[in-house]
Amino acid sequence: MEDSEHFGVWLGRQLRRVGMTQAQFAEELDLTRAAVSAWVTGRAQPKPTLMPRIAQLLGTDLATVVTRDTDAGSARPVTWHHRLAHADGGREYGNAAAFAFDANLAVLAREATQNSMDERYDIARPVRVRFTLHELTGEHLNRFLTALKWNELEPHYDVAARSRQKVGRVLAEGLRLLREESSLLLLRVDDYNASGLTGPEYGDGRFAAVVRRQLDSHKRDDRAGGSYGLGKATLWAASRLGLVLINSTLSESHEGRTARRVVGRLDLPWRTVDGVAYAGPAWLGEPDTEKEHEGVSRSWWADERTAADLWLERDSDDPGTSFLIVGAHDAAGHSSTLKETYDALVEALADNFWAAMTAGRSTPAVLEASVRAMKDGVTVVEERRVDPTERHPALTRALRSHLDGETVAELTAADQVVATDVVLDIPALRAAGRGSGVREHRAVLLVTPADDADTEHSRIVCMRGTRMTVTTRRPRNLGLGVDPFQAVLLAGFATGNDDESVRAAEAFLRAAEPPEHDRWGTTDELTATYLNAPRRLTEFNAAVDAALRAVVGRRSTRPTGDGPEILRGLLRLDLPSAGSRRVEGYPVVDRVSGRVDASGSWTLDVTLKVPQRDDSWQLVPVAKFDVRSGSRPALRWAELTANENCRVLDGRIVVDPEVRSARFSGTTAVDSHPVPASLAGVVVDIRQAQEVPA
Amino acid sequence: MNRSGADVPDRLALLPSAVASKYLTNAVRSGHERLPQVAILRAAGSIEDGSARWSTGPLKEILDEAMSRFADARTEADAWLAPRLHATLRMTRAEAARPELWNFLALAVAPDYVLWRHLATGEAKDGTAKKVNTPRFAGPQDSQAFARLWWAAEMFRDGPDYRPVEVACGNQDMLNTVLRLDTIDHKPTALAMVRVLEGMVRSGATRLGDRVNALCTAVNSAGSTLLYDVLAPDELPDQEALFAWIDDAEGAPPVPWDRLPDGPEDGTARRASVDRLTLMFQELADGAPLRDRSRKRAADSA
Amino acid sequence: MSTVYPYPTLAGRVDITVRQAGIDGKALPFSLISPREQVVALHLAGRDDWEEATLELEVGLPNDELADGPWASVACVAVLTEGATNSRTVARLERRRDDTRWRGEIRLRRSMYVARAVLQVSVVGSYDGIDGRVIGTGDVPWVVDLLARTAVRQRDIEIVEEDFRDGPQEWLRPFKEAPWLVETSGELPTVLLNTSFEGLGALLNGARGPLEKAAAGLVATQIAGDAWTAMFHSAVGDLEVDDDGAPQVPDGWKEPVLRAMLPDVFPGLPLADALAEIHSRRTEGHGWAELQSRIQFAASRRAQAPKNLTTALRAVSRPQEGAAR
Repeated sequence: MEDSEHFGVWLGRQLRRVGMTQAQFAEELDLTRAAVSAWVTGRAQPKPTLMPRIAQLLGTDLATVVTRDTDAGSARPVTWHHRLAHADGGREYGNAAAFAFDANLAVLAREATQNSMDERYDIARPVRVRFTLHELTGEHLNRFLTALKWNELEPHYDVAARSRQKVGRVLAEGLRLLREESSLLLLRVDDYNASGLTGPEYGDGRFAAVVRRQLDSHKRDDRAGGSYGLGKATLWAASRLGLVLINSTLSESHEGRTARRVVGRLDLPWRTVDGVAYAGPAWLGEPDTEKEHEGVSRSWWADERTAADLWLERDSDDPGTSFLIVGAHDAAGHSSTLKETYDALVEALADNFWAAMTAGRSTPAVLEASVRAMKDGVTVVEERRVDPTERHPALTRALRSHLDGETVAELTAADQVVATDVVLDIPALRAAGRGSGVREHRAVLLVTPADDADTEHSRIVCMRGTRMTVTTRRPRNLGLGVDPFQAVLLAGFATGNDDESVRAAEAFLRAAEPPEHDRWGTTDELTATYLNAPRRLTEFNAAVDAALRAVVGRRSTRPTGDGPEILRGLLRLDLPSAGSRRVEGYPVVDRVSGRVDASGSWTLDVTLKVPQRDDSWQLVPVAKFDVRSGSRPALRWAELTANENCRVLDGRIVVDPEVRSARFSGTTAVDSHPVPASLAGVVVDIRQAQEVPA
Repeated sequence: MNRSGADVPDRLALLPSAVASKYLTNAVRSGHERLPQVAILRAAGSIEDGSARWSTGPLKEILDEAMSRFADARTEADAWLAPRLHATLRMTRAEAARPELWNFLALAVAPDYVLWRHLATGEAKDGTAKKVNTPRFAGPQDSQAFARLWWAAEMFRDGPDYRPVEVACGNQDMLNTVLRLDTIDHKPTALAMVRVLEGMVRSGATRLGDRVNALCTAVNSAGSTLLYDVLAPDELPDQEALFAWIDDAEGAPPVPWDRLPDGPEDGTARRASVDRLTLMFQELADGAPLRDRSRKRAADSA
Repeated sequence: MSTVYPYPTLAGRVDITVRQAGIDGKALPFSLISPREQVVALHLAGRDDWEEATLELEVGLPNDELADGPWASVACVAVLTEGATNSRTVARLERRRDDTRWRGEIRLRRSMYVARAVLQVSVVGSYDGIDGRVIGTGDVPWVVDLLARTAVRQRDIEIVEEDFRDGPQEWLRPFKEAPWLVETSGELPTVLLNTSFEGLGALLNGARGPLEKAAAGLVATQIAGDAWTAMFHSAVGDLEVDDDGAPQVPDGWKEPVLRAMLPDVFPGLPLADALAEIHSRRTEGHGWAELQSRIQFAASRRAQAPKNLTTALRAVSRPQEGAAR
């Protein structure tokens, strides 16, 4: 077992765990203390014949001593450790990093998923991310709180919730929901095929970066968008209770093990409980046995049962991490019901990661994401893969065509994608001096007609790295009357290429991004690192606009029929006429309904809209058959009946004075029908009766 | 009313409507003044294509023959002339859709025919001279003296067979009413209407004009709810055959006078489709009320 | 005016889209297809010898309503028509089992169409024993423009700058002295501006300063006034009349012209009544002369005469301003 922990390190921990000194252990084995010390420090190994006795002394079996993939003896009690207040009396009122972000689930989905993508393990497979909304009530809630050791936390929450800071109000609402409504919303974020939280408990590594150091950005390589950087704070910000539990399956073993590295972290403001002052954070874990960290709760290798009780069990051995946000809420968002929250997550994933989720025929997607919802352990909304083509059909089509090499040079169909190169001149590094040359990177601009259902369109989505959207901007100088389109700019690694110029472009553009990674502009880092950087960026943007214009812009201005603007404005046919907006000064037909009766007559029910006046209106109703083209045959009335606000006189409708509407019905004379009524549509019009000279 | 003789241009050209309408004075339309031939020729644009079909000679020939044949019954000239005009002036619909062409034919080539065919005899009630309506010279294709005949032939021919054209143009009510209706853009509909008309003529029906109008109104009304194209499917004409026929104009002899010429072999309408619509239109015609002319006159004078 | 049908019709939306177009087998650049304006422009610079265009169509129908509705043998057809050529082409569209849209293609023969064809979709079904009933049509038809180089739904009046004296249009020679001419007999009304009339183009296209702008405004008003008057007369010129003597609202550009002007010619009369009135006065002659001042008033309103005249009067009353600079 190449992965197994060194015997000495393992033995040292076992001795601390069982509370035995090296001297006592040596005595039991009839050896000198120096011999045991030599094992623990790794200078020597015990003879194989001693192993059974060592196992017996540590209360375990021979196999464990040999493989060392687990700790010996019974588990140490899992407990909460609250950090004591700083000796200098400094106080913190909450995790500063957590408050840098809006506690918005869309942001959480974006940051958490981006982290998972940055930690993708096997780059031949997508990283799989699953969001689970889980509402706990009643007995399920109690069981979870027991597993969480809520009784150890409650006094701390009670005190912290009394704080007048914003965090106090959020906590108070969380406690209220828990106590009065007996309801707790869990949001679990799982990733698979990711690195997992590897590395030591306190030193450099992914684990410590997430669990111990809130402002640390543990960057793995130059592709990462800021791995486990500030983004991880959104996990805590999304919890009303500032509480997140973690279960990680490691991609490389730690302490000889990979499965179920579990830890919990709580962020509360400074507080005094039972006369003791505590600083912000607390951790759930085993009390550490190492001198340096004695009593601090550290991650432990949980058994399956414990993981299940904490709703932390994972589907498979595929490495990755599960974060369980306890008391999840969408403070800055608008979701309140489970379904709304579910939809908000699906939308956020589709909007931010449609590109990463897009696969080509021979290119796997970078990401697969899904969302499900449960209540008390029962699924209420089935797990569903987020399909990028549903919300962003045109954008997805653009990228897929690129991946499959099916882009065209000129659009001839609505579902085609044009690809065109845009050159980015990467300026020389200041460090390299003026003499060094400008390097040329060929970014790719994809353009396709927008889909009918697209709500956002006619913008340029700019991406780099793992096809993360850095910014979405409006193009300039496109001219008027351009049909809605979608455009994607792929720069750096997002092009799918990897060479010197691609890496240089990636570095240049990353330097042009502020910490939020949401635009390309002049930053201190950029100007400090590169010569002439702002100008190159401006040129790049202009080149993108020009390339876009060449694809979607109108081929030519209208060659004829244009004429002087000053005259054209006076000769528009499509302007609403002056009279169209004013209220009509005459009666109009408002509504007609009707049916053909057994005798073949049309019986029509007509509602008129009438301007109010003191005199009555005298109107002649006319029914005609509709025709394909040309003149409409008029029908005769067999009967006219007044229904509301009018009377019938001599084939006319006389509308009562001062009314605003009138209703009458009419039956057509069958012998005036040029075709059977069942074969023609009918229209009704009214005309004002000519004044009959007395 | 002198026949213009020697100064008729050899080839057809295109005369803009704006120009045409400016020369169509009352004096011209009543036949008292000649059109300014030179000014009209100058204002006209030539047709680039040098094909023989744009020669005016064959056209003049059939127009002169029509005037002599039907000197006593001018309206009957339509049925004779329509197929022969169509077979002489061979062109696509796109080409025939140019009003400038018809303007030129009426104003520069054969104003005498327009006057002969459309000038009412006698004097108007108010004592002024009778005159031909402007649209007979320059106007919509269902009114213009030559366009109406060419289009009638185009709409009612069954492939190369001009017989339905003869029937349709033999009835002025049919020609005047039906040519304005969009429904005849569907060939089986047009042919079925002709068949119903033919039946009426054969049975010697009374009030033929009223019956034709009633038929047209019925087909047009039912066309607001029925898509005849679906009830009676048709196919696109054979464009190649049409082009071949047009190209044949170079060497084709003048059209026969006593028997019908042959049109383009671009495909006839489906028999079953025409049959189905004929049956249906016959039924509509039988059930349609004839217009009460006394009522119409009352409405007009109101 | 809405039509009442003697059988149930579709309430849901019917829309048609041109997904792709080709000319003689060669794909048309998509920039010549505008889904927003619903226009296909078929004019290809340098290519006038094509014979057939093919349009690939996609139609969205309220499929659920159709499935639950009372109609049998439902079919969806695309209909291409053009008034000038009396041409009509019909193509059946099909829906595949796993598809929500109806698809098919329609062929436009160059010999059959000349300028602007209209593409519409009809849904047909059987109801109550009668086949082939139209139960729905598309909301907005497409325009297939054989002459346009750009996919723009042209709604404006054409304004053409032309040399009346030495230009290629022979028929304009007699009008060489005229600064402009209005032509209403074509498909679209056209205002012809005479480029051989010195200074006119410069004034209209590039007036600078308040005085010049005021003059340009006045000239534009004058031209527009002429154009609206000519269009009005042309629009009421040959109205089609229904059986009962009621004139129909004409189609094409004439409809918006009448809708814009008739309320000013006959204030207080509904469109149909105003149309009947103008038709009877024109055909019977009585009151036609009296109407001319009303028509002139309506045209000057469209041409914004009061506004442009006021601007001009104010500009000339402040002549020093221009001189001081």
